[in-house]
Amino acid sequence: MTTADIYKTDPLPVEPHGGIMGRLNLATGVIAGVVLAVVGNQLAHRLGDDHPHEPDARAVFTMLGWAVGFLLGMGAFTGPFRWLAGRDLTHGDELFLAGKGQGVGRYFRFTTDHKVVGIQYLVLVMVMLGAGGSMAMLIRTDLISPNSGFLGPQTYNSLVGLHGLTMILATIIMVTGPFGNFVVPLMIGARDMAFPRLNALSLWLLVAMLPILYSAAFLGGIPMGWVGYTPIADQGPTGVDAYMMAILVFAVSTAVAGMNITTTIVTMRARGMTWTRTPIFVYGVLASVVLALPAFPMFMAAELLLLVDRVMGGGFYVANRGGQPWLYQNLFWLMGHPEVYVILIPAVAALMELTAVFARKPLYSFRLAVLSIVAIVGLSVTVWAHHMFASGWAPDLNGPFMLTTEMISIPTGGLFLVILGTLWRGRIWTTFPMMCTYAMLWNFIIGGITGIYLSDVPLDYQLHGSMFVTAHFHYTLMGAGLTGAMGALGYWFPKMTGRMLASTPAFVSFWLVQIGFNVTFLGMFMVGLEGQPRRVVHYDTAFHSGNLISSLGAYCIGIGMLILLYDVISSWRHGDLAPMNPWGAKTLEWTVPNPIPLENFSVLPVVTEDAYGYGEEPAPEPEPEPVPASASASAAGDPAGADGTAGAPA
Amino acid sequence: MGGSPVTSETTTERVDRSRGAELRTLAILWAVFTILGVVFALIVPHHLMGPSASNTMTEVERTFTAFSVASAPVAAVVWALMVYSLLRWRRRGAWQEGDPDGPALRGHALTSGVWISLSSALCLFLLVWGLAALSSVDSAAASSASPLEIDVTGQQWVWTFSYPTQGVESDQLVLPIDRPVVFKVTSYDVIHSFWVPEMGIKVDANPGVTTSTSTRPDRLGTYHVRCAELCGLLHADMETNARVVSSDDFATWVAGQGGHA
Repeated sequence: MTTADIYKTDPLPVEPHGGIMGRLNLATGVIAGVVLAVVGNQLAHRLGDDHPHEPDARAVFTMLGWAVGFLLGMGAFTGPFRWLAGRDLTHGDELFLAGKGQGVGRYFRFTTDHKVVGIQYLVLVMVMLGAGGSMAMLIRTDLISPNSGFLGPQTYNSLVGLHGLTMILATIIMVTGPFGNFVVPLMIGARDMAFPRLNALSLWLLVAMLPILYSAAFLGGIPMGWVGYTPIADQGPTGVDAYMMAILVFAVSTAVAGMNITTTIVTMRARGMTWTRTPIFVYGVLASVVLALPAFPMFMAAELLLLVDRVMGGGFYVANRGGQPWLYQNLFWLMGHPEVYVILIPAVAALMELTAVFARKPLYSFRLAVLSIVAIVGLSVTVWAHHMFASGWAPDLNGPFMLTTEMISIPTGGLFLVILGTLWRGRIWTTFPMMCTYAMLWNFIIGGITGIYLSDVPLDYQLHGSMFVTAHFHYTLMGAGLTGAMGALGYWFPKMTGRMLASTPAFVSFWLVQIGFNVTFLGMFMVGLEGQPRRVVHYDTAFHSGNLISSLGAYCIGIGMLILLYDVISSWRHGDLAPMNPWGAKTLEWTVPNPIPLENFSVLPVVTEDAYGYGEEPAPEPEPEPVPASASASAAGDPAGADGTAGAPA
Repeated sequence: MGGSPVTSETTTERVDRSRGAELRTLAILWAVFTILGVVFALIVPHHLMGPSASNTMTEVERTFTAFSVASAPVAAVVWALMVYSLLRWRRRGAWQEGDPDGPALRGHALTSGVWISLSSALCLFLLVWGLAALSSVDSAAASSASPLEIDVTGQQWVWTFSYPTQGVESDQLVLPIDRPVVFKVTSYDVIHSFWVPEMGIKVDANPGVTTSTSTRPDRLGTYHVRCAELCGLLHADMETNARVVSSDDFATWVAGQGGHA
């Protein structure tokens, strides 16, 4: 890659000037949120009077008030308001919004710089994973013996649902949030996202969502698991309203983020970064958000109908009012299965990216990788009813859905081949991120094969709703997905924080987590095959040994995760300073200095070849003054030339 | 290999020989993992699922074992390459600026083609097997002239079994051995899922509609009926017994309940 002296940055010598935005931050957001929540609550109370749905209406209006107030108080809508008032933001205002010249305070503001948003996402994801993980520890503690009595059935059922929902929401954003925001613009040679204010909005919507979600625990809990099946959700306490509102807010955030990331990747890649020169991680993120764009509105629709049921006395899902529970299940799984690939594809793509770097080899068959991702995206919207084989809905469709589901194993196998082919005769540097690739391969082959059992209709009749299913999807979402995200964290940590992630605690954590993980979920496969249903607070003594194994393994994961958390915090605060390109990678994010300047690239790069030219052609002398025209004409390019002008380690 | 072209013939031969040894070691690793996987597949799932109590469960266990055996060589490819690459292609020490890169292999059409073809063939095998198993499971009771019909109703948090022909209602499931049985399943309130783990049958109990499942119990004993769909507070307690008895004992039980055979 080479650079061109065009698009010089920041032509106007303007000082950042935020006006009222200088006084808006997290604290004003919380205050405004609480005020509007009280207003919403009282409004619904006055209007609702003694109507039977009054408690639900009050809950919904309170949460809506909180979300809107919080975002107003954060200053999320200052730009549109100023524009409506005919005083659109000036260049100085935009610089203030981007966080120019502010210290740590910019992380607590409505800051638009994609690097700030990426870090905010990372912290948010870690908080959510911590919350979900703690709930998992409570669940496993309850299940350590057949009748432990550690948790009551109501608490247990709510915890199962909140653990599931927390983890699903966290894993959906865990790669596209932190790394999609921080790394992708750098990787494609852009100065920011296409819509920086929407970017910040997507993040703060999630922050607004968290109190709504966890208020469910104090509003009677959610009795129906994270899937929110109806009609049990119709009869649930006001905690279910919190569940609905959390999902509605999350779906808006996903739509905003997905549109923003898609636009950024499609329109803002550097000059010369054709689709064949675009790194595979960018494809992974794009596939994930493009898939999420049609998927989440389904979930949103499902919850809106539930809202009508609960707040206005509709009967979409209530059989004796002409409703149909299968409607909910169809809408839910139209989101629910694509969502699995929303989680997996970017995680696996991140591992592909770093496998090429650590094996010092070109990615094996870039075209197969892209084709596999596209095929998975396409097929994943055609398989949803395999979650409903045992529901009794449309038995005649079981055969076709079995076909589409099993077909997904072909492109998934393609992803395996790409990674294995990249490892083939490589010079493998077994760093922590690279070991995550190995762990992913191990876990994902188990998760994938057990998925094939479940795609088989007669086998699914037996295994559906059992612990076998729980073990299976943890192998895919956690064993492959979360492991991929941890690899991505280790890989991009030096660029995101400017410091190296200390390697020894990372490896200790790695082995504890991976061994603990396999112990936990092999134990769960065991009790699933023996016949233990999911989501039970106590169980038959026949399942004791498998559950004990699972619980011990889970503690092992918990300790390992705490060690990783310690490693991240301590390395972030006083780890070794990272060189500009510690791994010797060839993608563009490693060509910017640490700490990364606000505009990322003082001179926008021009791309002349893809980022996987390892072992190709001995390096020619770097050209002192690369000319854009001739550089883009010579497709073969000169990798070391780019290193010489822009990419050499500091 | 990048940047250091092989010139002398002896080096080429040495490289060929070492590559031959490499492939041999990989093949051995693959074979070992495959054998281990197949042995595991033949023993463990069947042991965990226990003796089957119906023709449906026999089919389930057969399919589980067949799929496990078929996937052992696939998993073995991944595991063999993982282990081998960690042992033999691993770099000693950290990467340094200027270290030689790995070979510039950007794909291998034959490998990709074979890989995709093989996985498609395996997929086709799974599909054909699955469709065959599905039709055999479905036809078990349908082909019988006089299946025993039982109406199953779930409600928070008990099961009720009603035998319309016999005029009997019970909170215990009692089945005569070797007689095909059809369950008509519904619910009073929320969704439950009617599951007899030892018989390999499960179908959701939905309010407002009736779903059905069928099997032929073929082993005397006491088994379990469990709810497999989170249905509220006491979901974990929503279980009862399923007894498979001889047809004489069944007639006695029906009479004892005040019904008529």
